[in-house]
Amino acid sequence: MRAVDIIGVGMFPFGVHKTTPLVEMGVRAAVEAIKDAGVKPSQINIGFFANMQAGNLTKEFTTGQAVMWGAGVNKVPVFNIENACTSGASATTLAMMSIASGQYDLALVVGAEKLNVPFVPLLNPSMRDINVLEGNVVINGFAQRAVRHMYEYGTTKEQLAMVDVKNRRNALLNPKAKFFNKPVTLEEVLGSTMMSDPLTKLSCCPNSDGAAALVLCAAELSSRYTTRPIHLKASVLVSGVFDEWPDMQTFEEDQRAGRTAYETAGLGPEDVSAAECHDAFTICEVMHTENLGFCPIGEGGPFVESGATSLGGKIPVNVSGGLLGKGHPLGATAAAQIVEGVIQLRGEAGDRQVEGAKVFLTECMGAELRGDAKTCTVNILTV
Amino acid sequence: MSSDLKPMLDGIFEVGPPPRLLGAECPICERKFFPKPIVCPHCLEDVKEIKLNTEGTVYSFSILRIPNMLYKYPQPYASGYIDLDGDNIRVYGLFDPEKTEEIAIGQRVTLKVGQIGIGLDGEECLRYYFTPVDGGGK
Repeated sequence: MRAVDIIGVGMFPFGVHKTTPLVEMGVRAAVEAIKDAGVKPSQINIGFFANMQAGNLTKEFTTGQAVMWGAGVNKVPVFNIENACTSGASATTLAMMSIASGQYDLALVVGAEKLNVPFVPLLNPSMRDINVLEGNVVINGFAQRAVRHMYEYGTTKEQLAMVDVKNRRNALLNPKAKFFNKPVTLEEVLGSTMMSDPLTKLSCCPNSDGAAALVLCAAELSSRYTTRPIHLKASVLVSGVFDEWPDMQTFEEDQRAGRTAYETAGLGPEDVSAAECHDAFTICEVMHTENLGFCPIGEGGPFVESGATSLGGKIPVNVSGGLLGKGHPLGATAAAQIVEGVIQLRGEAGDRQVEGAKVFLTECMGAELRGDAKTCTVNILTV
Repeated sequence: MSSDLKPMLDGIFEVGPPPRLLGAECPICERKFFPKPIVCPHCLEDVKEIKLNTEGTVYSFSILRIPNMLYKYPQPYASGYIDLDGDNIRVYGLFDPEKTEEIAIGQRVTLKVGQIGIGLDGEECLRYYFTPVDGGGK
Protein backbone atom coordinates (compact mmCIF):
# COMPACT_ATOMS: atom_id res chain seq x y z
CA MET A 1 0.00 0.00 0.00
CA ARG A 2 1.26 3.49 -0.86
CA ALA A 3 1.58 6.32 1.65
CA VAL A 4 -0.84 9.21 1.11
CA ASP A 5 -0.40 12.97 1.65
CA ILE A 6 -2.76 15.92 1.77
CA ILE A 7 -1.40 18.64 -0.51
CA GLY A 8 -4.28 21.11 -0.74
CA VAL A 9 -7.13 22.37 1.42
CA GLY A 10 -10.02 24.77 0.94
CA MET A 11 -13.01 25.93 2.90
CA PHE A 12 -16.12 27.98 2.26
CA PRO A 13 -16.75 29.80 5.58
CA PHE A 14 -19.12 28.08 8.00
CA GLY A 15 -22.05 30.39 8.76
CA VAL A 16 -25.48 31.32 7.47
CA HIS A 17 -25.49 31.57 3.67
CA LYS A 18 -29.17 31.73 2.78
CA THR A 19 -28.63 32.89 -0.79
CA THR A 20 -25.61 30.72 -1.68
CA PRO A 21 -26.57 27.41 -3.32
CA LEU A 22 -25.11 24.13 -2.07
CA VAL A 23 -23.21 23.55 -5.31
CA GLU A 24 -21.58 26.99 -5.20
CA MET A 25 -20.29 26.45 -1.65
CA GLY A 26 -18.81 23.11 -2.71
CA VAL A 27 -17.25 24.58 -5.84
CA ARG A 28 -15.64 27.47 -3.97
CA ALA A 29 -14.07 25.12 -1.40
CA ALA A 30 -12.90 22.78 -4.19
CA VAL A 31 -11.34 25.55 -6.24
CA GLU A 32 -9.46 26.84 -3.18
CA ALA A 33 -8.12 23.33 -2.46
CA ILE A 34 -7.08 22.68 -6.07
CA LYS A 35 -5.25 26.00 -6.29
CA ASP A 36 -3.66 25.43 -2.87
CA ALA A 37 -2.41 22.04 -4.10
CA GLY A 38 -0.90 23.54 -7.23
CA VAL A 39 -2.56 20.97 -9.49
CA LYS A 40 -4.79 21.38 -12.53
CA PRO A 41 -8.36 20.07 -12.33
CA SER A 42 -7.57 17.74 -15.25
CA GLN A 43 -4.92 16.03 -13.11
CA ILE A 44 -7.49 14.91 -10.52
CA ASN A 45 -8.14 11.17 -11.08
CA ILE A 46 -11.12 10.60 -8.81
CA GLY A 47 -13.60 12.60 -6.74
CA PHE A 48 -15.62 12.00 -3.57
CA PHE A 49 -18.47 14.32 -2.58
CA ALA A 50 -19.88 14.22 0.95
CA ASN A 51 -23.35 15.50 1.84
CA MET A 52 -26.11 14.33 4.16
CA GLN A 53 -29.33 16.29 3.74
CA ALA A 54 -29.58 17.68 0.19
CA GLY A 55 -32.17 15.06 -0.73
CA ASN A 56 -34.33 16.18 2.22
CA LEU A 57 -33.80 19.92 2.40
CA THR A 58 -32.95 21.29 -1.04
CA LYS A 59 -34.26 18.33 -3.09
CA GLU A 60 -31.01 17.65 -4.91
CA PHE A 61 -29.28 14.36 -5.57
CA THR A 62 -26.05 13.13 -7.21
CA THR A 63 -24.71 16.58 -6.44
CA GLY A 64 -21.04 15.61 -6.47
CA GLN A 65 -20.70 15.63 -10.24
CA ALA A 66 -22.09 19.19 -10.41
CA VAL A 67 -19.67 20.34 -7.71
CA MET A 68 -16.67 18.62 -9.31
CA TRP A 69 -17.42 20.01 -12.76
CA GLY A 70 -17.93 23.46 -11.27
CA ALA A 71 -14.30 23.16 -10.17
CA GLY A 72 -13.20 21.83 -13.56
CA VAL A 73 -13.16 18.11 -12.74
CA ASN A 74 -15.04 15.91 -15.23
CA LYS A 75 -14.89 12.47 -16.87
CA VAL A 76 -13.27 10.78 -13.85
CA PRO A 77 -15.12 8.58 -11.33
CA VAL A 78 -17.14 10.63 -8.82
CA PHE A 79 -18.83 9.08 -5.79
CA ASN A 80 -21.57 10.70 -3.69
CA ILE A 81 -21.12 9.77 -0.02
CA GLU A 82 -23.68 9.95 2.81
CA ASN A 83 -22.52 8.76 6.25
CA ALA A 84 -24.22 11.33 8.51
CA CYS A 85 -21.82 13.67 10.33
CA THR A 86 -18.79 11.62 9.28
CA SER A 87 -19.57 11.89 5.55
CA GLY A 88 -16.58 14.17 4.91
CA ALA A 89 -14.17 11.87 6.76
CA SER A 90 -15.73 8.76 5.20
CA ALA A 91 -15.11 10.33 1.78
CA THR A 92 -11.52 10.99 2.85
CA THR A 93 -11.07 7.34 3.86
CA LEU A 94 -12.26 6.25 0.42
CA ALA A 95 -9.96 8.77 -1.27
CA MET A 96 -7.03 7.47 0.77
CA MET A 97 -7.87 3.86 -0.13
CA SER A 98 -8.13 4.71 -3.83
CA ILE A 99 -4.61 6.19 -3.79
CA ALA A 100 -3.04 3.72 -1.36
CA SER A 101 -4.19 0.87 -3.62
CA GLY A 102 -2.09 2.29 -6.44
CA GLN A 103 -5.09 2.76 -8.71
CA TYR A 104 -5.26 6.57 -8.55
CA ASP A 105 -2.70 9.30 -7.82
CA LEU A 106 -4.70 12.46 -7.08
CA ALA A 107 -8.11 12.54 -5.37
CA LEU A 108 -10.43 15.44 -4.58
CA VAL A 109 -12.69 15.30 -1.51
CA VAL A 110 -15.44 17.89 -1.11
CA GLY A 111 -17.95 18.04 1.73
CA ALA A 112 -20.80 20.57 1.55
CA GLU A 113 -24.10 21.16 3.31
CA LYS A 114 -26.89 23.72 3.23
CA LEU A 115 -29.05 23.69 6.36
CA ASN A 116 -30.41 27.24 6.46
CA VAL A 117 -33.58 26.59 4.51
CA PRO A 118 -37.05 27.73 5.60
CA PHE A 119 -37.90 24.59 7.61
CA VAL A 120 -35.47 22.15 9.22
CA PRO A 121 -37.17 19.37 11.21
CA LEU A 122 -35.62 17.77 14.30
CA LEU A 123 -33.17 15.27 12.88
CA ASN A 124 -33.85 11.58 13.20
CA PRO A 125 -32.30 8.70 11.30
CA SER A 126 -35.54 6.92 10.41
CA MET A 127 -39.24 7.56 11.07
CA ARG A 128 -39.76 3.79 11.49
CA ASP A 129 -36.93 3.34 14.01
CA ILE A 130 -38.51 2.01 17.20
CA ASN A 131 -36.45 4.36 19.40
CA VAL A 132 -37.57 7.35 17.29
CA LEU A 133 -41.20 6.19 17.50
CA GLU A 134 -40.73 6.08 21.29
CA GLY A 135 -39.42 9.62 21.61
CA ASN A 136 -35.72 9.52 20.75
CA VAL A 137 -34.40 12.46 18.73
CA VAL A 138 -30.71 13.27 18.31
CA ILE A 139 -30.47 15.66 21.26
CA ASN A 140 -32.15 13.13 23.57
CA GLY A 141 -29.51 10.51 22.83
CA PHE A 142 -26.79 12.90 23.95
CA ALA A 143 -28.78 14.21 26.92
CA GLN A 144 -29.11 10.59 28.08
CA ARG A 145 -25.32 10.25 27.81
CA ALA A 146 -24.86 13.47 29.79
CA VAL A 147 -27.30 12.32 32.50
CA ARG A 148 -25.50 8.98 32.77
CA HIS A 149 -22.03 10.57 32.72
CA MET A 150 -22.98 13.01 35.50
CA TYR A 151 -24.47 10.15 37.56
CA GLU A 152 -21.52 7.81 37.11
CA TYR A 153 -18.54 10.20 37.23
CA GLY A 154 -19.81 13.34 38.94
CA THR A 155 -19.37 15.50 35.83
CA THR A 156 -20.99 18.89 36.42
CA LYS A 157 -23.16 21.00 34.14
CA GLU A 158 -20.63 23.80 34.60
CA GLN A 159 -17.87 21.56 33.21
CA LEU A 160 -20.08 20.73 30.22
CA ALA A 161 -20.73 24.44 29.62
CA MET A 162 -16.98 25.17 29.71
CA VAL A 163 -16.63 23.22 26.47
CA ASP A 164 -18.87 25.72 24.71
CA VAL A 165 -17.17 28.76 26.23
CA LYS A 166 -13.78 27.43 25.06
CA ASN A 167 -14.89 26.53 21.55
CA ARG A 168 -16.73 29.81 21.03
CA ARG A 169 -13.55 31.62 22.11
CA ASN A 170 -11.52 29.56 19.60
CA ALA A 171 -13.99 30.30 16.79
CA LEU A 172 -13.32 34.02 17.19
CA LEU A 173 -9.72 33.33 16.09
CA ASN A 174 -10.83 31.45 12.94
CA PRO A 175 -11.63 33.67 9.93
CA LYS A 176 -13.62 30.77 8.39
CA ALA A 177 -15.95 30.56 11.43
CA LYS A 178 -18.69 33.05 10.68
CA PHE A 179 -21.73 31.87 12.62
CA PHE A 180 -21.51 33.71 15.96
CA ASN A 181 -18.66 36.24 15.72
CA LYS A 182 -18.85 36.78 19.47
CA PRO A 183 -17.82 34.96 22.66
CA VAL A 184 -20.18 33.42 25.22
CA THR A 185 -20.04 33.25 29.02
CA LEU A 186 -20.63 30.28 31.30
CA GLU A 187 -23.73 31.99 32.66
CA GLU A 188 -25.14 32.50 29.17
CA VAL A 189 -24.63 28.83 28.29
CA LEU A 190 -26.22 27.61 31.52
CA GLY A 191 -29.03 30.17 31.36
CA SER A 192 -30.10 29.64 27.75
CA THR A 193 -33.30 27.75 26.92
CA MET A 194 -33.37 24.21 28.33
CA MET A 195 -33.69 21.81 25.39
CA SER A 196 -33.16 18.32 26.83
CA ASP A 197 -31.81 18.29 30.41
CA PRO A 198 -28.98 19.11 31.05
CA LEU A 199 -28.38 20.41 27.50
CA THR A 200 -29.37 24.04 26.97
CA LYS A 201 -29.69 25.70 23.60
CA LEU A 202 -26.07 26.94 23.75
CA SER A 203 -24.89 23.41 24.63
CA CYS A 204 -25.88 22.39 21.09
CA CYS A 205 -24.10 23.25 17.86
CA PRO A 206 -26.06 25.51 15.50
CA ASN A 207 -27.04 24.76 11.89
CA SER A 208 -24.38 26.29 9.65
CA ASP A 209 -23.97 26.17 5.90
CA GLY A 210 -20.52 25.61 4.47
CA ALA A 211 -18.07 23.45 2.58
CA ALA A 212 -14.57 22.02 2.93
CA ALA A 213 -12.26 20.35 0.43
CA LEU A 214 -9.03 18.35 0.36
CA VAL A 215 -6.64 17.24 -2.37
CA LEU A 216 -4.98 13.91 -1.57
CA CYS A 217 -1.89 12.71 -3.43
CA ALA A 218 0.30 9.61 -3.50
CA ALA A 219 3.16 10.54 -1.15
CA GLU A 220 5.75 9.42 -3.71
CA LEU A 221 4.40 12.13 -6.08
CA SER A 222 3.72 15.00 -3.64
CA SER A 223 7.06 16.71 -4.25
CA ARG A 224 5.93 17.46 -7.81
CA TYR A 225 3.30 19.81 -6.41
CA THR A 226 4.33 21.00 -2.96
CA THR A 227 7.25 21.36 -0.58
CA ARG A 228 5.06 20.97 2.49
CA PRO A 229 2.88 17.87 2.21
CA ILE A 230 0.98 16.77 5.31
CA HIS A 231 1.01 13.00 5.80
CA LEU A 232 -2.31 11.21 6.25
CA LYS A 233 -1.02 8.45 8.52
CA ALA A 234 -4.36 6.82 9.31
CA SER A 235 -7.91 7.25 8.05
CA VAL A 236 -10.24 4.93 9.91
CA LEU A 237 -14.00 4.40 9.66
CA VAL A 238 -15.92 2.02 11.94
CA SER A 239 -19.58 1.21 12.55
CA GLY A 240 -21.31 0.57 15.86
CA VAL A 241 -21.94 -2.78 17.59
CA PHE A 242 -25.77 -2.40 17.75
CA ASP A 243 -26.31 -5.20 20.28
CA GLU A 244 -28.93 -5.38 23.03
CA TRP A 245 -26.90 -3.58 25.66
CA PRO A 246 -26.07 0.00 24.56
CA ASP A 247 -23.62 1.84 26.84
CA MET A 248 -24.41 5.54 27.34
CA GLN A 249 -21.35 6.48 29.41
CA THR A 250 -18.54 5.57 26.99
CA PHE A 251 -18.01 5.80 23.22
CA GLU A 252 -16.88 2.28 22.34
CA GLU A 253 -16.70 3.35 18.69
CA ASP A 254 -14.13 6.06 19.57
CA GLN A 255 -12.03 3.54 21.46
CA ARG A 256 -12.07 1.04 18.60
CA ALA A 257 -11.49 3.56 15.79
CA GLY A 258 -8.84 5.32 17.87
CA ARG A 259 -6.99 2.08 18.63
CA THR A 260 -6.87 1.15 14.94
CA ALA A 261 -5.76 4.64 13.93
CA TYR A 262 -3.03 4.82 16.60
CA GLU A 263 -1.73 1.36 15.62
CA THR A 264 -1.77 2.22 11.90
CA ALA A 265 0.09 5.49 12.52
CA GLY A 266 2.52 3.94 15.00
CA LEU A 267 1.55 6.65 17.48
CA GLY A 268 -0.40 6.96 20.72
CA PRO A 269 -2.62 9.54 22.36
CA GLU A 270 0.44 10.95 24.17
CA ASP A 271 1.90 11.93 20.77
CA VAL A 272 -1.11 14.02 19.68
CA SER A 273 -0.38 17.79 19.60
CA ALA A 274 -4.00 18.89 19.06
CA ALA A 275 -7.34 17.43 18.01
CA GLU A 276 -10.71 18.20 16.53
CA CYS A 277 -13.67 16.11 17.67
CA HIS A 278 -17.42 15.88 17.12
CA ASP A 279 -18.63 18.39 19.73
CA ALA A 280 -22.19 18.50 18.40
CA PHE A 281 -23.23 18.80 22.07
CA THR A 282 -20.98 19.79 24.97
CA ILE A 283 -21.10 16.29 26.52
CA CYS A 284 -19.68 14.85 23.29
CA GLU A 285 -16.32 16.60 23.60
CA VAL A 286 -15.99 15.59 27.25
CA MET A 287 -16.54 11.95 26.29
CA HIS A 288 -14.34 12.07 23.19
CA THR A 289 -11.34 13.37 25.17
CA GLU A 290 -11.75 10.33 27.43
CA ASN A 291 -12.40 7.69 24.82
CA LEU A 292 -9.60 8.82 22.51
CA GLY A 293 -7.18 8.41 25.42
CA PHE A 294 -6.36 12.06 26.14
CA CYS A 295 -7.48 11.60 29.76
CA PRO A 296 -8.80 8.65 31.80
CA ILE A 297 -12.42 7.53 31.38
CA GLY A 298 -14.67 9.63 33.61
CA GLU A 299 -12.22 12.54 33.91
CA GLY A 300 -13.25 14.53 30.84
CA GLY A 301 -15.09 17.08 33.01
CA PRO A 302 -12.10 17.98 35.23
CA PHE A 303 -9.89 17.78 32.09
CA VAL A 304 -11.71 20.64 30.32
CA GLU A 305 -11.98 22.56 33.59
CA SER A 306 -8.19 22.32 34.08
CA GLY A 307 -7.58 24.13 30.79
CA ALA A 308 -5.80 21.10 29.31
CA THR A 309 -7.95 21.30 26.16
CA SER A 310 -7.70 25.09 25.76
CA LEU A 311 -5.26 26.80 23.40
CA GLY A 312 -1.90 26.70 25.20
CA GLY A 313 -3.01 23.65 27.23
CA LYS A 314 -1.67 20.09 27.20
CA ILE A 315 -3.75 19.06 24.19
CA PRO A 316 -5.89 21.79 22.62
CA VAL A 317 -9.20 20.41 21.36
CA ASN A 318 -11.36 22.03 18.70
CA VAL A 319 -9.07 24.98 18.13
CA SER A 320 -11.03 25.75 14.94
CA GLY A 321 -14.05 26.47 17.12
CA GLY A 322 -15.40 22.97 16.66
CA LEU A 323 -19.02 22.34 15.81
CA LEU A 324 -20.15 24.45 18.78
CA GLY A 325 -18.21 27.47 17.57
CA LYS A 326 -18.47 27.13 13.80
CA GLY A 327 -21.79 25.35 13.47
CA HIS A 328 -22.31 21.95 11.91
CA PRO A 329 -22.87 21.75 8.14
CA LEU A 330 -23.20 17.99 8.39
CA GLY A 331 -21.50 16.73 5.21
CA ALA A 332 -18.78 19.38 5.41
CA THR A 333 -17.95 19.05 9.11
CA ALA A 334 -15.57 16.09 9.15
CA ALA A 335 -13.70 17.32 6.05
CA ALA A 336 -13.29 20.73 7.73
CA GLN A 337 -11.77 19.02 10.78
CA ILE A 338 -9.06 17.59 8.51
CA VAL A 339 -8.62 21.00 6.82
CA GLU A 340 -7.93 22.45 10.29
CA GLY A 341 -5.37 19.73 10.93
CA VAL A 342 -3.51 20.58 7.72
CA ILE A 343 -3.54 24.31 8.50
CA GLN A 344 -2.25 23.68 12.04
CA LEU A 345 0.51 21.31 10.92
CA ARG A 346 1.63 23.79 8.27
CA GLY A 347 1.86 26.43 11.00
CA GLU A 348 -0.60 28.69 9.17
CA ALA A 349 -3.30 28.97 11.84
CA GLY A 350 -2.45 32.51 12.92
CA ASP A 351 -3.80 33.48 16.34
CA ARG A 352 -5.15 29.98 16.99
CA GLN A 353 -1.89 28.22 16.07
CA VAL A 354 -0.91 25.33 18.36
CA GLU A 355 2.81 25.95 18.83
CA GLY A 356 5.01 23.19 17.47
CA ALA A 357 2.10 21.00 16.33
CA LYS A 358 3.46 17.75 14.85
CA VAL A 359 0.58 15.27 15.13
CA PHE A 360 -3.08 16.15 14.66
CA LEU A 361 -6.06 13.87 15.29
CA THR A 362 -9.61 14.34 14.01
CA GLU A 363 -12.60 12.38 15.27
CA CYS A 364 -16.16 12.43 14.09
CA MET A 365 -19.28 10.44 14.89
CA GLY A 366 -22.63 10.24 13.16
CA ALA A 367 -26.22 9.03 13.56
CA GLU A 368 -27.49 6.48 16.05
CA LEU A 369 -28.82 2.95 15.84
CA ARG A 370 -29.92 1.03 18.94
CA GLY A 371 -27.99 3.44 21.17
CA ASP A 372 -24.68 3.12 19.31
CA ALA A 373 -23.08 5.47 16.77
CA LYS A 374 -23.76 4.25 13.27
CA THR A 375 -20.49 5.69 12.04
CA CYS A 376 -17.26 6.91 13.68
CA THR A 377 -14.05 8.16 12.06
CA VAL A 378 -10.54 8.90 13.31
CA ASN A 379 -7.87 10.47 11.09
CA ILE A 380 -4.27 11.09 12.13
CA LEU A 381 -2.12 13.65 10.30
CA THR A 382 1.58 14.34 10.77
CA VAL A 383 4.11 16.88 9.48
CA MET B 1 -58.55 3.99 26.63
CA SER B 2 -60.40 4.22 23.35
CA SER B 3 -60.55 0.71 21.90
CA ASP B 4 -60.25 1.67 18.24
CA LEU B 5 -56.76 3.16 18.59
CA LYS B 6 -53.96 1.10 17.01
CA PRO B 7 -50.37 0.58 18.18
CA MET B 8 -47.84 2.90 16.48
CA LEU B 9 -46.36 -0.18 14.79
CA ASP B 10 -47.71 -3.72 14.46
CA GLY B 11 -45.90 -6.50 16.27
CA ILE B 12 -44.23 -4.31 18.89
CA PHE B 13 -46.52 -4.86 21.86
CA GLU B 14 -49.75 -6.49 23.02
CA VAL B 15 -52.26 -3.97 24.32
CA GLY B 16 -53.53 -6.33 27.04
CA PRO B 17 -54.39 -5.98 29.78
CA PRO B 18 -51.78 -6.69 30.82
CA PRO B 19 -49.66 -5.00 28.12
CA ARG B 20 -46.55 -6.88 26.99
CA LEU B 21 -43.62 -5.95 24.77
CA LEU B 22 -43.08 -8.47 21.99
CA GLY B 23 -39.42 -9.37 21.67
CA ALA B 24 -37.69 -12.34 20.14
CA GLU B 25 -35.22 -15.06 21.05
CA CYS B 26 -32.79 -16.87 18.77
CA PRO B 27 -33.15 -20.67 19.11
CA ILE B 28 -29.45 -21.11 18.31
CA CYS B 29 -27.58 -18.49 20.40
CA GLU B 30 -30.47 -17.76 22.82
CA ARG B 31 -29.91 -14.01 22.57
CA LYS B 32 -33.00 -11.89 23.18
CA PHE B 33 -34.02 -8.95 21.02
CA PHE B 34 -36.39 -5.99 20.99
CA PRO B 35 -37.95 -5.34 18.64
CA LYS B 36 -38.04 -8.65 16.77
CA PRO B 37 -35.28 -8.67 14.11
CA ILE B 38 -35.85 -10.07 10.60
CA VAL B 39 -33.47 -12.92 11.49
CA CYS B 40 -30.93 -13.30 14.32
CA PRO B 41 -28.06 -11.03 13.13
CA HIS B 42 -25.57 -13.34 14.87
CA CYS B 43 -26.83 -16.69 13.51
CA LEU B 44 -28.97 -15.59 10.53
CA GLU B 45 -31.67 -18.00 11.74
CA ASP B 46 -35.37 -17.29 12.23
CA VAL B 47 -36.16 -16.10 15.75
CA LYS B 48 -39.17 -17.00 17.89
CA GLU B 49 -41.42 -14.32 19.36
CA ILE B 50 -41.37 -13.95 23.15
CA LYS B 51 -43.10 -11.68 25.63
CA LEU B 52 -40.61 -9.56 27.53
CA ASN B 53 -40.65 -8.84 31.24
CA THR B 54 -42.83 -5.86 32.16
CA GLU B 55 -40.72 -4.39 34.98
CA GLY B 56 -37.27 -2.91 35.00
CA THR B 57 -34.89 -0.18 36.16
CA VAL B 58 -34.16 3.15 34.49
CA TYR B 59 -30.59 3.13 33.06
CA SER B 60 -30.66 6.67 31.66
CA PHE B 61 -33.23 9.18 30.50
CA SER B 62 -33.77 12.62 29.02
CA ILE B 63 -36.54 15.19 29.30
CA LEU B 64 -37.20 17.01 26.03
CA ARG B 65 -38.59 20.43 26.90
CA ILE B 66 -38.96 21.85 23.40
CA PRO B 67 -41.83 20.78 21.12
CA ASN B 68 -41.35 17.56 19.16
CA MET B 69 -43.88 17.88 16.32
CA LEU B 70 -42.69 14.66 14.69
CA TYR B 71 -45.21 12.51 16.55
CA LYS B 72 -46.91 15.23 18.63
CA TYR B 73 -45.71 13.96 21.98
CA PRO B 74 -46.70 15.84 25.14
CA GLN B 75 -44.42 18.75 26.03
CA PRO B 76 -42.24 18.11 27.95
CA TYR B 77 -41.76 14.34 27.79
CA ALA B 78 -39.23 11.89 29.15
CA SER B 79 -37.75 8.91 27.34
CA GLY B 80 -34.75 6.68 27.81
CA TYR B 81 -33.37 3.22 28.44
CA ILE B 82 -34.80 0.62 30.78
CA ASP B 83 -33.01 -2.57 31.88
CA LEU B 84 -35.74 -5.22 31.92
CA ASP B 85 -35.70 -7.63 34.84
CA GLY B 86 -34.40 -11.08 33.94
CA ASP B 87 -34.38 -10.59 30.17
CA ASN B 88 -30.79 -9.28 29.94
CA ILE B 89 -31.96 -6.60 27.56
CA ARG B 90 -31.95 -2.77 27.58
CA VAL B 91 -34.95 -1.29 25.76
CA TYR B 92 -35.84 2.27 24.77
CA GLY B 93 -39.16 3.74 25.75
CA LEU B 94 -41.23 6.75 26.69
CA PHE B 95 -41.95 7.47 30.35
CA ASP B 96 -45.33 8.32 31.83
CA PRO B 97 -46.12 11.88 30.62
CA GLU B 98 -47.87 12.54 33.97
CA LYS B 99 -44.69 11.63 35.91
CA THR B 100 -41.97 13.26 33.83
CA GLU B 101 -40.23 14.90 36.78
CA GLU B 102 -40.19 11.67 38.82
CA ILE B 103 -37.93 9.77 36.44
CA ALA B 104 -34.39 9.14 37.71
CA ILE B 105 -31.58 6.67 37.13
CA GLY B 106 -32.32 3.57 39.20
CA GLN B 107 -36.08 4.28 39.34
CA ARG B 108 -38.13 1.06 39.23
CA VAL B 109 -40.68 1.21 36.41
CA THR B 110 -43.43 -0.92 34.94
CA LEU B 111 -44.92 -1.19 31.47
CA LYS B 112 -48.15 0.51 30.41
CA VAL B 113 -49.87 1.22 27.10
CA GLY B 114 -51.92 4.31 26.30
CA GLN B 115 -52.64 7.01 23.77
CA ILE B 116 -49.56 9.16 23.27
CA GLY B 117 -49.00 11.27 20.17
CA ILE B 118 -49.64 10.25 16.58
CA GLY B 119 -48.45 7.40 14.38
CA LEU B 120 -46.82 7.18 10.95
CA ASP B 121 -50.24 7.78 9.36
CA GLY B 122 -50.76 11.02 11.33
CA GLU B 123 -53.60 9.52 13.43
CA GLU B 124 -53.67 9.26 17.22
CA CYS B 125 -52.25 5.91 18.31
CA LEU B 126 -51.19 3.73 21.21
CA ARG B 127 -47.63 3.69 22.49
CA TYR B 128 -45.97 1.69 25.23
CA TYR B 129 -44.48 3.65 28.13
CA PHE B 130 -43.00 3.01 31.53
CA THR B 131 -44.37 4.46 34.76
CA PRO B 132 -42.81 4.42 38.25
CA VAL B 133 -43.86 1.29 40.22
CA ASP B 134 -46.17 1.95 43.17
CA GLY B 135 -47.23 5.12 41.37
CA GLY B 136 -43.90 6.88 42.02
CA GLY B 137 -44.08 9.65 44.57
CA LYS B 138 -40.42 10.70 44.65
